[in-house]
Amino acid sequence: MLLLITRPKYDLPTHYLFHWAGLLINEAKRRRVKIIDLDKEKAKKDKLHSYLSKQPIDIVILNGHGSSEAVAGQNEIILSTGNGTYLLKNKTVFIRACDAGTILGKEIIEMGAKGFIGYIQPFMFPIDKDCVNKPLEDKLASPVLECSNKVGFSLIKGKSAMQAQNDSLDEYAEVTDRYSSSEAINSFLLPILLWNMASQVCYQ
Amino acid sequence: MEEKSNSQNISEDIKNLVIARLETIPSNVEISIGGKGSFTIEDLIERVKKQDNIGKKITEMQLAYLRSLGKLPTQELKDASANN
Repeated sequence: MLLLITRPKYDLPTHYLFHWAGLLINEAKRRRVKIIDLDKEKAKKDKLHSYLSKQPIDIVILNGHGSSEAVAGQNEIILSTGNGTYLLKNKTVFIRACDAGTILGKEIIEMGAKGFIGYIQPFMFPIDKDCVNKPLEDKLASPVLECSNKVGFSLIKGKSAMQAQNDSLDEYAEVTDRYSSSEAINSFLLPILLWNMASQVCYQ
Repeated sequence: MEEKSNSQNISEDIKNLVIARLETIPSNVEISIGGKGSFTIEDLIERVKKQDNIGKKITEMQLAYLRSLGKLPTQELKDASANN
């Protein structure tokens, strides 16, 4: 199995996604999955398209900012409708970016991808300002990012897009129930958890 | 990146309800909203008052949660999402 992952890092949201996507890389290494890590300045369109056209990649995970028709890498659009989606044929794709599930994800499937998981609304997560320098220790961000990471963990285990989606939704349901209890603190996380859960879509 | 916005008019009562909920969030919290950046709770309250794109999304999120409280929230949302 060969995994390609993009991890731009140039603002606070991508700083968090960079570190949380790093956990997926650790898991892939542990499972001896081969990895192409396009981090920081390597998260550019030319590099992504070159690897997609030349390497037998099975799973593609793109982290970054997005819109309904495009997803960005390090300060540039790296994939958009009509520009590179055909390169994802026969691959399973997870795009952790705002809105990309609305139009881009559907085109990716139409162009022959095995499966697609993404979001049809802005991807939101809370940040504890005291944890900005240690995002993996941010206990406010972790419930949301763990649920989202579950997609990647399941794909790395060899599961299909739909199985990965269901694993992630199960995690959202479990975490949401935990924060719904009468003793729970930080119940302000619930609207954000429910928002991302309802926004996460899977096509295959 | 550009985000879609909901053009629906929001009443003052709804705005005040959303603002009251935001005021319960601790001051050490920021909310990251995709390419728009991360926002303090004070920023979000101002944007809900103005009902700009960010304010509308935050309003939509809080209202979706409140509407879900009358149901079995997680299972129904899971089913709805799985059927997309």
